Amino acid sequence: MVLHINRVKKEYGNKEALKSVSLVIPKGTCYGLVGPNGAGKSTLLKIIASIILDYDGKVRLMNPSNQNLKEQIGYVPQEICLEQNLSAISNLYFFGKLYGLKGQELKSRAMEVLKEIGLSDRAKDKVKQFSGGMKRRLNIGCALMHRPNILIMDEPTVGIDPQSRRYIFEMIKQLQQQECTIIYATHYMEEVEQLCDEVAFIDHGEIIEQGRVDDLLQRYAIPSVFVKGMKELPEQLITLGDITPHKDGHLIATNQFIPVMETILQHYQEESDKLLRLEIVRPRLEDVFITLTGSELRDGQRGHV
Amino acid sequence: MMGAIFILEMKKNLQDKGLLFWMVILPIIFTYLFIEIFTSGADDMAKQEIITSIVPGYTVMFVFFIMISMVTSFIKDRDSGMTARIASAPIKPKFYLLGKWLPYIVIVCVQIFILFGFGKVVYDINLEQPILLTSLSIILAYMVTGLGLLLALSVKTENMGIALTQVIALGGALISGLWVPIDMMPNMLQKTAEFLPQYWAHQALQDTMHGTLAYKDFFMASGVLLAYGTSGFLLAVIRYGSFLKVARS
Repeated sequence: MVLHINRVKKEYGNKEALKSVSLVIPKGTCYGLVGPNGAGKSTLLKIIASIILDYDGKVRLMNPSNQNLKEQIGYVPQEICLEQNLSAISNLYFFGKLYGLKGQELKSRAMEVLKEIGLSDRAKDKVKQFSGGMKRRLNIGCALMHRPNILIMDEPTVGIDPQSRRYIFEMIKQLQQQECTIIYATHYMEEVEQLCDEVAFIDHGEIIEQGRVDDLLQRYAIPSVFVKGMKELPEQLITLGDITPHKDGHLIATNQFIPVMETILQHYQEESDKLLRLEIVRPRLEDVFITLTGSELRDGQRGHV
Repeated sequence: MMGAIFILEMKKNLQDKGLLFWMVILPIIFTYLFIEIFTSGADDMAKQEIITSIVPGYTVMFVFFIMISMVTSFIKDRDSGMTARIASAPIKPKFYLLGKWLPYIVIVCVQIFILFGFGKVVYDINLEQPILLTSLSIILAYMVTGLGLLLALSVKTENMGIALTQVIALGGALISGLWVPIDMMPNMLQKTAEFLPQYWAHQALQDTMHGTLAYKDFFMASGVLLAYGTSGFLLAVIRYGSFLKVARS
């Protein structure tokens, strides 16, 4: 089962929210969708989830079971969409029933989901008594009731504590083991690095790059060596990489970090106490994004480097 | 699936204490006060006539306040992301709307039952044609909630919905003779009233109380009310796409 998004376009009045977006999302992948606020992530997710129906292009699910796309998708919106005055289990029942679950199947599935999201002991408590993290977990749980093959998550960790974030990450990893395809929209690069197999960068309604996380890191981001010492850098380093001042030291962008480190170590051999710090700086997705767009992405605020 | 939405909406409304005030307590207070005011000094026959006008009149006026609850519910769902989330489930828009709509029909039927029950217990009003009265009550509930559905899917804000509900409920009551007997009103207003559902509902309910509602008039009044309610629902189905577009998700 593969999800094909083919030349999808969407306009709001005169504004083009999506400009011919094409993606192929293989089964069982955790697929990151990264971009600043207003880039078109949520619009694309709403189209995949069949919430927006008036768009150009096609979203197709290549599946042998011929099931309706909506039945295969679980949608976790950015907002916490729960009935606050009802209990956790009532909320789960409601969403289960929307997908045709009933009777004993509904009850046992709700108990399973409560266990998965770590809220078994709070099943009968009203949602309004929950912490933000618990609500987020229940928000995800509601989308899992019908055992979707594809889970769409729109910024599921916004505004939660580190403990709940870790819990959600564990849940996502478990879902991956069950071959659930996850489409994960965020503007936190480190979440994508930690969770996703593949990623698409979206900006101004366009996919600017997509591929496996490792491949993109290799293709676009060069590792660096950071050195901080009390001596001038040896001249021969200039031939081994680009040197830029960074936090009281220097960053040497290079793929040959072993020779660079050896050169520095030799340089400081006689006065090792003057070498304060020497380390390899691994490339990050943030660097890929900067390379591609020439701008940074931080909590939706973009500023030029 | 529609049943899930029906049950959820019903639960939410049963927890809403404001609804009890608007739909039952306030109408009873108004009905009692206005009957006291208008019947002071009147003889028994006139008194009975006034009560037979005020009880159905105020019932018809106050059923329109259900529109406020409907607007609040839809706007809250729209802005909380619930509408969009439900739209991602395999449920057709018309069934979603029906699931949201039916609980309000039930609530209004219960409201009418309580208000007429109050009239019967306290003022011993005549209820000569109970079957026609019950049928008209259900059709009245259908009409007012159908219009409420349209209003809820058309307004941008809750305040706008509340303001329009008051215009519809109070303006309609004034023109349709729910406050002042229709034959005491200017000719032009009497003609205008014939275009309003409140007029048809009030006249027909009064006639059932007297036991003088002919089947022809019952079908006429029912037809008008059903036409309003059905138009409201159909236009709401058409409006749903625009409503979903502005829904948060």
